Amino acid sequence: MNERAKTTKKILHEKLSGQKSTPLYSLEALKSIRQTVDQWMNSIVPEKDRKNWSTTHRTVLGSDIPRELLYTPLSNPDLDYQQDLGNSGQEPFTRGVHASMYRGREFTMRQLTGFGSPEETNQRIKFMLDHGATGLNVLFDLPTIQMYDSDDPFSRGQVGMSGVCVDSVEDMARLFKDVPLDEVTISIVTHYPSNTAILFPMFLALAEERGIPWENLRGSVQNDITLEELIRSGSEYIPPKDCFRLQCDNIEFIRKNVPQWNFITLNGYNLREFGTSAITEMAVAVSNGIEILDELVRRGYDVDSTADRLSFFWSAANDFFEEIARVRAVRRLWYKIMKHRFNAKNPRAMLMRCHIQTSGVCLIQEEPRNNIIRAAYHALAAVLGGAQSLHVDSYDEAYSVPTEEAALLSLRTQQVLQKETGVTDVVDPLGGSFYLEALTNEIENRILDEVDEIEGLGGYVRAIESGEVYGKVASYFTEQQRLIENGEIALVGQNIYRSEVEGPPINVFRYPEGVEERQRSRLQKLRLNRDSEKVGSALGALKDACLKGKNILPYSVDCARVRCTEGELFKVFKDAFGLWKPPALF
Amino acid sequence: MEKRDKIRMTKKIKVLLSKLGLDVHNRGIIIVAKVLSSAGMEVVYLGNALPEEIISVAIQEDVDVVGVSSLGGAHISLGMPLLKEAEEKELKGKVIFLMGGVFPPSDGERLREIGFDGVFLPGTTRDQIVSGIERLVG
Repeated sequence: MNERAKTTKKILHEKLSGQKSTPLYSLEALKSIRQTVDQWMNSIVPEKDRKNWSTTHRTVLGSDIPRELLYTPLSNPDLDYQQDLGNSGQEPFTRGVHASMYRGREFTMRQLTGFGSPEETNQRIKFMLDHGATGLNVLFDLPTIQMYDSDDPFSRGQVGMSGVCVDSVEDMARLFKDVPLDEVTISIVTHYPSNTAILFPMFLALAEERGIPWENLRGSVQNDITLEELIRSGSEYIPPKDCFRLQCDNIEFIRKNVPQWNFITLNGYNLREFGTSAITEMAVAVSNGIEILDELVRRGYDVDSTADRLSFFWSAANDFFEEIARVRAVRRLWYKIMKHRFNAKNPRAMLMRCHIQTSGVCLIQEEPRNNIIRAAYHALAAVLGGAQSLHVDSYDEAYSVPTEEAALLSLRTQQVLQKETGVTDVVDPLGGSFYLEALTNEIENRILDEVDEIEGLGGYVRAIESGEVYGKVASYFTEQQRLIENGEIALVGQNIYRSEVEGPPINVFRYPEGVEERQRSRLQKLRLNRDSEKVGSALGALKDACLKGKNILPYSVDCARVRCTEGELFKVFKDAFGLWKPPALF
Repeated sequence: MEKRDKIRMTKKIKVLLSKLGLDVHNRGIIIVAKVLSSAGMEVVYLGNALPEEIISVAIQEDVDVVGVSSLGGAHISLGMPLLKEAEEKELKGKVIFLMGGVFPPSDGERLREIGFDGVFLPGTTRDQIVSGIERLVG
């Protein structure tokens, strides 16, 4: 009781401050290094660099942490190998979640796929698998994400755009036609808790119809309140507290019934892409993770058997070393939180496993081919940071969803990294770098400070309701825009080295036509052919579960089985929970 | 310049901003909203809306400018109904229609043909947006 009244930062401070340590550097060595550094600084370093010893390089989505000219053991005099780094696969997991990292298991090459009708995306999925993709990452269209049926007035003109349309279990079947659901790991990008509670049951019903036991399914859903209530722009919102409950209902149900499935992807990526710093991205996801585990403990689960399936999703942006340091920093911080705040015993429950996607916001329209270079650096940083799986954004994404050619180039970027460069041979190859370790420490401290801020506001759900997190993010991205316009953030080809001659045009993806009409007539047929009595009672039972506080998932699986549509389930949520108006945007 | 000053003294430019349809990407339009407010314009931000709602609010609020944002691919499939509705409600010619967002640059031309008075692509600066609006209204 008292423990919970304390913030995470306070708990960690109390538990860790008395630890016995074995620093790598002796006092004697540090003293002599200090002497040589002082001498070097006063005699060799040009005066202007001595004056500007620390500079802050502004980067897209960066942390604004000042950097020194040279890092030495003095930057991190107390470095303790066991306590701060450890071996890979061992506490505190700074160097990686697995002992042999990529030699044991290569990072999964998981490219996002989704556009048009389920059949069209199915073809792109097979194209990617045929070319060596090792995982799937399926993205839905705007109406599906926002939970409207393809024939809803809200969906007009947007069916099959930015993703694939799925209205019912029958579309799910078309989407995964001839894809062995129990052999490929499948990430279903159901951004929100609400649509996770609608779409994942359709996937489960499909597995059932194909005779595949749920225990054999492997993959992940996103299921993150941040996306539904903080950064989404939508017409209708359910209240944050109900959304948080659905998030936890999803977790509870999946943990029990689909044991190999990652039931939440704590998503920093989309928040960062929305426009926030390297630090806030992680602080928000970590705060959400803490609040979820508190709730699951309240529901009677122990963290050792729940936290082992949590996964995280980060972005990789322009500041190369910062991106590497961040992943290491949050891995260590999450370990400390699990070990010391939640008293986890199961080492797997202390692991921050993550998927990383290269940043889309860092890609620009001018000279689009330069984006290939940017994304390759982002991808390299992700791998040096120890990501478990990776998506590389395509160079044409500053225009539209990728063409087949561009999507293949992204996959090839990963394959070149994995097979040609040798960067995967050695675990955490930059570990021990004076610079990287100092940066890792600084970032870890800053993330924890921002977690502390959120807890000070009454916790994450509270901080969403009040608009505080939103305000912080909005002021960051407004400032970023200013820095780009005044040239402080350099963008090659846009605000520096701008080319007078226009380069050759690139092919831009065009959405297939006729998807909306086809979906409309499919829905019409579906509504005629299904058992409307069963539909009515399944939806009734779902509403009842919503109102009575029961876990709603068994009921939404029933809905999927009898061919309820996505919009019908969302309507139940809106009726049961009411609508919420987010705090004013500006 | 003189003319513009006169207009601004007599009446603040009033702008309705909206996400077009279900598109979830709202960072750009929020920045634009802030920029226009601080440039002295009156901004009404509608959130996500369909063409009919946008036009009806534009009439209710008696705005000078309607700016819509689309990054999800529906710039034409919803942009067309928006201007058709504007035509039917006799708003075209009285109100300036603007589109901003991410779409193939060649679609900028198409959007102008449909009837948008201004099209803002990524990389457009805040000053360009403010002066663009002032020029179109003035």
